[in-house]
Amino acid sequence: MKRNRKAVIEVRNLSARFGDNIVFEGVSFDVHQGEVLVIVGESGCGKSTLLRIMIGLQKPYAGQVFYEGTEITSASESVLNEYYRNIGVLFQAGALLSSMTIRENIELPLQAHTDLEADKINQIIKMKLGMVSLEGYDNHYPAELSGGMRKRAGIARAMALDPRVLFFDELSAGLDPVTAVELDDLITKTNEALGTTMVIVTHELESIYKIAHRVLMLDKQAAGIIAEGTPAELKERTDDQRVKSFFLRQSPAIPAHQGIYGDK
Amino acid sequence: MTSLTGKQDRPGFTVSFREEGTTLFAQLAGEFSLQNLSAFTGQIKERISAAPPGAVIFDFSRVTYLDSAAALAFVNFRRTLSAGNVHCQEINISEDAKGIFSVIREEALDRTALAPDGGQGGFIQQIGQASLTIARDFFHFVTFLGDIITAFAYTLRHPTSLRGKDLLFYVKRAGVDGLPIVGLIGLLMGLIMAFMAYLQFKQFGANIYVPSLVSFAMVKELGPLMTAILVAGRSGSAYAAEIGTMVVNEEVDALRIMGFDPVRFLAVPKVLATVIVVPILTVYADVSGVIGGMIIGVTSLDLSLNSYVTQSIKAISVFDVVTSMIKAAVFAGLVSAVGCQRGFMVRAGAQDVGKFTTSAVVTAIFMIVVADSIFAIMLYYVRRYDSFS
Repeated sequence: MKRNRKAVIEVRNLSARFGDNIVFEGVSFDVHQGEVLVIVGESGCGKSTLLRIMIGLQKPYAGQVFYEGTEITSASESVLNEYYRNIGVLFQAGALLSSMTIRENIELPLQAHTDLEADKINQIIKMKLGMVSLEGYDNHYPAELSGGMRKRAGIARAMALDPRVLFFDELSAGLDPVTAVELDDLITKTNEALGTTMVIVTHELESIYKIAHRVLMLDKQAAGIIAEGTPAELKERTDDQRVKSFFLRQSPAIPAHQGIYGDK
Repeated sequence: MTSLTGKQDRPGFTVSFREEGTTLFAQLAGEFSLQNLSAFTGQIKERISAAPPGAVIFDFSRVTYLDSAAALAFVNFRRTLSAGNVHCQEINISEDAKGIFSVIREEALDRTALAPDGGQGGFIQQIGQASLTIARDFFHFVTFLGDIITAFAYTLRHPTSLRGKDLLFYVKRAGVDGLPIVGLIGLLMGLIMAFMAYLQFKQFGANIYVPSLVSFAMVKELGPLMTAILVAGRSGSAYAAEIGTMVVNEEVDALRIMGFDPVRFLAVPKVLATVIVVPILTVYADVSGVIGGMIIGVTSLDLSLNSYVTQSIKAISVFDVVTSMIKAAVFAGLVSAVGCQRGFMVRAGAQDVGKFTTSAVVTAIFMIVVADSIFAIMLYYVRRYDSFS
């Protein structure tokens, strides 16, 4: 598929901190239109924090995020609302409102941003449920669905407004391999069919090889991006031990215990 | 070694010492584990401090079992001895034991914990932090009140944005479901008050004033106060827990992304429902109280039903009933706003939900009492002005 190199989201010199703890510093990258960008890295390296800052839910310690030239990081409420009309987010556990049925959940963004008549909204909901293979589950409550189904319902809700950019936090966390593969297919299909730009945080190597156009790797010690490229490129890279151990699924060498056998 | 023998204290080890010049040889034998940790470390320490050697060598050749805690103890021996310039060495470590030793990363032992947000400081610093927390709390609440008022203003201008289903749900939850307990407590309070008043008043033959005392106290003070406290316990806590759990599950973030103002979406129906329902509950509590008093009045005070009711009504005016309802509405607004605000203050985890739910009830009750005092003063002046005109 052809993708042009136009940047939809620009991240410039972003830093995040929790107290003394520097999560990352000076992170800059672009998200190009129509691409599937995967952010990887060990736990605690700030992937989710980065995502939350890009979404505008959290303020960075320093730096900016731009969406099509508009700054998000210090935007007013109305600008942010305009931004939210253009993006969809799938949270870690789906974040469906538990007091509402799946139908009502998907209805929410449509209610907030459009003034369509009830039967049109109904049609859209049915279409979105069909896209994630959840047709017929309109009136179920989130608690009545399995984890994977909840995630798919979350995707349906995130896609309700046909967003330009979709964000996924921990895409396949806590899913069985079969469901995870189904989700990957869904993402590839959606990206190809609708040209939706996607930013995905995940750990699953198989998913990465399957869906990613480009991978960014964050590292806790380096407090920033240590590698960038297609999954194939990163797999071939052997100069950096951290990248190598992630993509070849090796444990980084544990520092050898010193002194105890020194005399043997 | 892995079989469960049920033996609690198995020494299972021996440490025999042998000296060669200034070098102390410690021959270890048997099992060294968490169970006998203090026993063998005690023995070794005692020996070393009794006659400080120039060097210590631990011989592991006869060790049959070693766990990580015991291995750590030996690592610590080496570290403390080396710090005192005493050479320390472990010899004849089996392959299994080497594995145990290899999981102990010495640099991790010395690593000081990173300071998370707002660490504990000295006494003065803690006082400062506590004051800041109180100030921030107050600032938060005032900001939140502002948020709620703008959200209400928006809802007034766009009535269709109010989710009617939610409103009715909370009217039922806070109001209808609360009727039995509010009624029961009101009834019992009237009953007790009438009985206590009767015990005192009968000494002066002033039984006829019991009904007026009960109705006066119920309508003017106890009805609104008690109802508000019950609602704080029943609904204020529920609001805090509900919103707090939604924050933890990222549902509030999701709402934000979907283009809803979380305050407008979550707090407005709750606050509105509570403000509608509590004045009605208060009237219900007042009536229950009077009925409670009436039970005593009719059964023990030789008052007829008719005279009891007449006396009750005589003691209160329409003004009293109306101010009682206004008071109840203000209490309701405070209770529900505090509940929602505490819910939004939750950051992460189940513990936070519990903490802020408790805080919602405590703060709400405190605010009810403060607001009630303000009302008492205000109404005093209103009435005085009234009597002049």
